[in-house]
Amino acid sequence: MTAPSSGRTVRGAARPGARVPAYWAPDGAVALWNDLAAGRSAVESPPASPFPEDVRSAWAVPRFDPRERAVAPRQPVEGYGVFTFPYGPVSMGVPEAGRFDVRTYGERVLELVPRVGYKSRRILASLVGLTPADAGLRVERLAGNFAAAHVSAFLAAAESAAGRAVPSRDAWVRAVAQEVQRIYNHVHVLARLAEAASQNVGLAQAHALAEEMLRVAGATFGHRWMFGALLPGGPVARLGPSDRDRLARTLDRLSEEFESLWEVFQGSRTFVDRIQTTGPVGRDEAEHWGAVGPTLRATGAAWDDRLRVPVVPYDDLFLPVAVESAGDALARLLVRVQEVRSSFLLLEQMLQRWPRAEEAPVDPAPPVGPHRGIGRVESPSGDLVYDVALRDGRVAAVGLRTASDANWPVFAVGMRSQVFTDFHFAWESFGLLFAETDR
Amino acid sequence: MSTWLGRAWARGILTTRYPAAPAADDEAPETGRPPMPTRPLDELAEAPGSCPTGAIGPAAVDQGKCIRCARCRAAGFALTGPVEASGRRRSELVWPGGRPGATVPEAGLAPLGRSVHVFLVDVGSCNACNLEVLALANPYYDATRLGIFFTNSPRHADVLLVVGVPTEEMVEPVWRAYEAMPAPKAVVAVGACPTSGGVFAGNAGLRPGLDAVLPVDRYVPGCPPPPVAILDAILALIGRGRPRAGEA
Ligand code: SF4
Ligand code: SF4
Repeated sequence: MTAPSSGRTVRGAARPGARVPAYWAPDGAVALWNDLAAGRSAVESPPASPFPEDVRSAWAVPRFDPRERAVAPRQPVEGYGVFTFPYGPVSMGVPEAGRFDVRTYGERVLELVPRVGYKSRRILASLVGLTPADAGLRVERLAGNFAAAHVSAFLAAAESAAGRAVPSRDAWVRAVAQEVQRIYNHVHVLARLAEAASQNVGLAQAHALAEEMLRVAGATFGHRWMFGALLPGGPVARLGPSDRDRLARTLDRLSEEFESLWEVFQGSRTFVDRIQTTGPVGRDEAEHWGAVGPTLRATGAAWDDRLRVPVVPYDDLFLPVAVESAGDALARLLVRVQEVRSSFLLLEQMLQRWPRAEEAPVDPAPPVGPHRGIGRVESPSGDLVYDVALRDGRVAAVGLRTASDANWPVFAVGMRSQVFTDFHFAWESFGLLFAETDR
Repeated sequence: MSTWLGRAWARGILTTRYPAAPAADDEAPETGRPPMPTRPLDELAEAPGSCPTGAIGPAAVDQGKCIRCARCRAAGFALTGPVEASGRRRSELVWPGGRPGATVPEAGLAPLGRSVHVFLVDVGSCNACNLEVLALANPYYDATRLGIFFTNSPRHADVLLVVGVPTEEMVEPVWRAYEAMPAPKAVVAVGACPTSGGVFAGNAGLRPGLDAVLPVDRYVPGCPPPPVAILDAILALIGRGRPRAGEA
């Protein structure tokens, strides 16, 4: 299930003035990609979809795969001395394979076009015909630092497609894994911002805290990135009574560690000055382009899948939703800081209420078509949706919309009229992954 | 500033003793280590079928293909092998009988000397390998104490650390980065992806491994390899790694 086919073109939705509500971000994004696709050749021709084009539901997810190599609203700029500066795909500043074309006349960014597709590993097509457990090994390696979110969403979709109830414990283990990984990723963003601001002492300490989160994952799930731990036959999550006590104590210490670290960051004027007003995105722009996750919440919209699509165990936990209003890199960081706190809080609640995890199996979400299900989770960078169809218990087709897919155009808009020296602050604050788009 | 220093003082020294001491459990959790048969391979009849990447053969285990998914535990394997599992040639990662094979010692890249500058190139990774390489800079591993420095340009690099399975689109960029490096230079394939294609081996449009693109000097198995294993591979390249089976 890839690439917008001609029958699914919804070109009109992204025209200037047409407001796309944030929760319909998938449609906004599809419209955008359709526009961009005009005149561009896809990297590879999409395999035929087994579904009629009109399969829709309340949770409708467009079936597309952004093979197009540019993901940004185009606003061609010409003028005296304007040139294109290609940044990437090999650079240490962005340690992933991807490129940015920067239109500039020297310092100010007039237009920024992210170029994706360099590391397209053709993963989705390769899932067809595998059992969900085997496909899961590839899904978690689609974006390694978001593995827990990807695998949880994929498995939820597959379970919904199969109509198979999930053991309650599995649902809880997935939630613990996701929250641990969310803390890691948010702290990692803090470390990268500190690096961009040359806050070397802060960088070292944030980097150390991120490493501690990886070690927590390693000790609890047998894998620093939790690969395999949420799949049958993989490393078994160690969450017995004594493990839970130890984990709770470690998390307690790390949460205090985080607070004292953030207090010092907060007091650093040079650091705060660098990210304040950097890469600003207005609420209108965020909703128009279909922003998700901390990027959306930093503009004042209180959308969090953990609250809007409550599944076990989130339906039973207290989760304060993090919202900021300024829409700049600082606001996005403040949202992440609050989310680190709320994730520690969620973990504490889950560990306290663990006996409930041993209760009755959880019903899967209702299927959205014959043998076809949707799985939707809040990944560290935002709303992540998997759309999985099964045939005879094996994967027949997979579609997905990642947070990065949704946020590329928002990043491009946020970079307009910024100076290029601000690039890294803006880039890190969005938490975008080329790996999530190049699949 | 005093607050920063106060915090640092209160935390004390975090840095690992590796490579002076062997890797600790928290540095290399279960899946950070290669799978080893608990009985002779030919007694584990059902083993080959249980491996999703075909790493387990009837007479040998190809660590370069292994993605450390731990499924072979049911067939009598345990992920308990040495962290120092990297090899100079692809064949050194194929362990006869499931044990590290004996290899003939040969001169490493001695001309590189005792300190190296490394440059990271992603040719199609899932980002976990990138982050494990970057983790070498954190206070727990502090690669600078061993004379390993990250550089921002391939023109200043001695060692190219390549992560990910080479996609068609990245063949030219990685080759150009390699060409830009001054000699003597070395290439390290970090992880199962550049070593064998890993879990993505056989996907359309992917090169079967990095050695189809560049001359590779060292292969590091693992998916991803833990930072200590990457550290060891860089040190082994300049003759400073921990002693390992089969190498002088
Ligand atoms: S851990 Fe390695 S050898 Fe064992 S089943 Fe997984 S890929 Fe195969
Ligand atoms: S070897 Fe594994 S962890 Fe590394 S890039 Fe490949 S899939 Fe990701």
